[in-house]
Amino acid sequence: MSRGSRDYVLWSIGIVLVLIFALVPILWLISISLKPPSQITDQRFIPASVSFDNYKSLFEGGIDNSPFLKPLINSIVIALITTVVAITLASFTAYAIARLEFPGKRLILAGALAIAMFPPISTVGPLFDMWRALGIYDTYLGLIIPYLTFSLPLAIYVLVAFFREIPWDLEQAAQVDGATPFQAFRKVILPLAAPGVFTAAILVFIFAWNDFVFAISLTSSDASRTVPAALAFFTGESTFTAPTGSIAAAAVVVTIPIIVFVLIFQRRIVAGLTAGAVKG
Amino acid sequence: MGHGSREVNKRTATKALACLAFAALATVGLAACGGSGSGPPQLTFFVAIQPGGTIEETAARCTKEANGRYTIKPELLPNDASQAREQLVRRLGAKDPSIDVIGLDVILTGEFANAGWIEPWQGKRKQEATEEVFPSVIETASFEHKLYAAPFNTNTQLLWYRKDLVPKPPATWNQMIEKAEGLKEAGTIQVQAERYEGFMVWANALIDSAGTEILSGPESVDLEQKPTEEALAVMGKLANSSAAAPNLSTSNEDSARLAFEAGESAFMTNYTFAYASASAEAPDIAKNMGAAPFPRVNSNPSKPPLGGFNLAVSSYSDHKDMAFEAAACLAGEKSQLTAVELDGLPPSRSDLYEGKVVKKAYPGFAGLVKESIEAAGPRPTTPAYQDVSSALQRTLHPPEKIDPEDTEGIYDELKSNLEAAVKREGLL
Amino acid sequence: MEASTARTHTSSRTRSERKLAWMLCAPAVIAMLAVTAYPIGYAIVLSLQKLDLRFPEQTEFVGLSNYGTVLSSELWWTDVFNTLFIMVISVAIELVLGMVIALVMHRAIFGRAVVRTSVLIPYGIITVVAAFAWQFAFASDSGFVNNLIGSEMDWFGGRFSSFAVIIMAEVWKTTPFMALLLLAGLVTIDGGLYEAAKVDGASAWQRFTRITLPLMKPAILVALLFRTLDAFRVFDSIFIMTRGALDTESVSILGFNQLINRLNLGLGSAVSVLIFISVFLIAFVFVKGFGARVEEGRPGG
Repeated sequence: MSRGSRDYVLWSIGIVLVLIFALVPILWLISISLKPPSQITDQRFIPASVSFDNYKSLFEGGIDNSPFLKPLINSIVIALITTVVAITLASFTAYAIARLEFPGKRLILAGALAIAMFPPISTVGPLFDMWRALGIYDTYLGLIIPYLTFSLPLAIYVLVAFFREIPWDLEQAAQVDGATPFQAFRKVILPLAAPGVFTAAILVFIFAWNDFVFAISLTSSDASRTVPAALAFFTGESTFTAPTGSIAAAAVVVTIPIIVFVLIFQRRIVAGLTAGAVKG
Repeated sequence: MGHGSREVNKRTATKALACLAFAALATVGLAACGGSGSGPPQLTFFVAIQPGGTIEETAARCTKEANGRYTIKPELLPNDASQAREQLVRRLGAKDPSIDVIGLDVILTGEFANAGWIEPWQGKRKQEATEEVFPSVIETASFEHKLYAAPFNTNTQLLWYRKDLVPKPPATWNQMIEKAEGLKEAGTIQVQAERYEGFMVWANALIDSAGTEILSGPESVDLEQKPTEEALAVMGKLANSSAAAPNLSTSNEDSARLAFEAGESAFMTNYTFAYASASAEAPDIAKNMGAAPFPRVNSNPSKPPLGGFNLAVSSYSDHKDMAFEAAACLAGEKSQLTAVELDGLPPSRSDLYEGKVVKKAYPGFAGLVKESIEAAGPRPTTPAYQDVSSALQRTLHPPEKIDPEDTEGIYDELKSNLEAAVKREGLL
Repeated sequence: MEASTARTHTSSRTRSERKLAWMLCAPAVIAMLAVTAYPIGYAIVLSLQKLDLRFPEQTEFVGLSNYGTVLSSELWWTDVFNTLFIMVISVAIELVLGMVIALVMHRAIFGRAVVRTSVLIPYGIITVVAAFAWQFAFASDSGFVNNLIGSEMDWFGGRFSSFAVIIMAEVWKTTPFMALLLLAGLVTIDGGLYEAAKVDGASAWQRFTRITLPLMKPAILVALLFRTLDAFRVFDSIFIMTRGALDTESVSILGFNQLINRLNLGLGSAVSVLIFISVFLIAFVFVKGFGARVEEGRPGG
């Protein structure tokens, strides 16, 4: 039993250290966002006095005039659509690559990697021209498409790596046991595929959520501007004053959907084990 | 592998493809919400938003004065100058017709004019736009002797100092450094020396104050040796003395004013906003805040930095005549008064400095601001401005590397780097 | 007769399998190509020209001379060194740290959801804001770090101290990426294997090196591959913290400066293509050298 409690202590210390590592800079951001402007540079980690002005300024003016509200909505919608579509497309492709024999398999993987490797900054200029010609500049679609393009490679690779590890024979075994093909797929394969799929989903979402390069170049108004780009337009009290407090507040608020998204999905990543189909 | 599973997958695949198509249509639908209006043409005014509301107010007033012939819609540019430039350059490079009037940073005039992106102002328009405007400001809006933008607001730097610690402000940089070194508290000087345009502003002011210029023409480097070396020596001396702020090589306008307001420095060179900021954020410091002219480098009169915005008309606009009219209103006398009242931005018309509005915005130092603008040394006008600025920053930053006793080496390096930059050669 | 029927049957089965495969892959391939074919092709064409956007009338075809300018420039090689320096150190730290964190996330005895979610927050924070938070924390007179350690050091006044902060920010931001992929790999390992090993008397370290690591190899390799490719293109952290001053510039910042600041599309595109080639070389080393066999055929059966 002493070994058990020693393990417990060790892992608890581990957890605490990990939490500190992950959260200190976030807490610093929160601290900045709660400081009144005169105390921003007082070098204190914990604010001397708390003020919610930065947060209030984000939302005042309602959806039309607030510099933050519409971009927040844009970010959420664009990231969600990108994730759903990317995971769907990547799953199809990864399934084909992991399970089927066909020429061009390596080409697709190599090509996807090549696309992921190209510096986005030089694609922005031509994309700007293309999008303006097609009329999708400053629209949701105008951002969703490049996000898809540049997140598909990672999603495909992650899913291929996981799909390869799934013992597909189990599906046949289940059918021999009397399950229909669909039941076999649903009860045996899906839970095994879940960790990979949800991992890929988190990665795609965060990519779309965080992107700055495309967001600032392919949008020009609140119609489709996302939060990272909107931050470039925040103003302080004068043109020379950095809007430190409001940027920190925006960053904190914008992390909340991420927390929600990850909270939901991280359970799914380990759901596979508990389905009970993996033994044997 | 059974047929069954593949059929299942085909069914799932078809379903998923259908969902995909739906999602795509939905987003196109969401995306296609753009009003196509009839009615008077809408002129777009691309400008960085001012926190006090200047742009909204001038745009609304000038729309009214148009009497229904056109409306003016401000479009935001990012606040960071280089990001704003990036946006403009991308769109003008693509001949975007959706830009009409541009709020142009003074350093962009040469680049944009040479590229054929902005229209020259001639004849009566030119006369009206430059009426009563400071000559130095007109220079910032001109290229090759033609006016390319209507002067709107300008900006300059003063020497701010703590009256309680230093009764009489120093007249030269060397005196200021010595004084700061001798102070028991707040013995530092705040400038802007991060590797960004603000560093170029400081360097240019020192070089101009020393009596020479960076460029003598759009493609020729001046930099007379003796005055340039004196200016470089000042930079090196400050950077290596105890009077340098601890974060000198990452300092900008904001960090400078924050440090001054926190009582860490007795001296600061900064723009006119510094007083309003201190009054709001640190009234105790503001009480003891004095303003003096930008310090000299040697016996030549000092040439303070010159900033600001001019309003240009895009060459790709579909409504150029109306755009000129709108720009003239947006840059005119009434708009300049709005700008100084709401945002503390110095007007480009010199006659406004006698008036109440300016005196109220700059209590006790309105005259000093006017003199500074009159004496100011603008940054060089050249299409290769970005290259020149980058080359100078790369050569001189961080300023600690300049040895005040031996500036010949760095002078040679600066001169040759700038000569290459002006011809846009090489990698920067 | 039977033999040929069998052959025909196989090839038609293979054909329909191929058709299905292509149908499944088509949407993703189209999505990727449609957007990148033109821009990447255009960038390559641009790199062969002398093209400065401010002087469009002076455009001319110059073949590989832009590449010559870049490759013979000291600045390019300094930046390559900077980039590799940051890349190697951050990825190494991230791998080790990521593994530790993945293990903690996997075996958390309490507060699993909290731990796992907290760990992913750094990855989810907007990159420019995270970089800014780090810069602000280390700012010599307004950040809390100097206050905490009782120093007045100007972290951003020196080349290697700047590197230190940049690497810290990069590691903090992307270790969760590693940890997430490693966790997903950990989770698929059958617990029964550990039980069997314990029964056989294997120590914790042996269980880790003989069971965990080998079974996680695919996950580790994908994580390393993508993280390394990304790390080579580091931009935001450096741009925000030092703007490349003090010789901390990375190759991406160099490319940005040419393309955007100087509007020299010819040189800037050449830099981009060279970055692409460098990243390609790294990927090549990975795939061949470490056997990142992600693309091999179907597993047993």
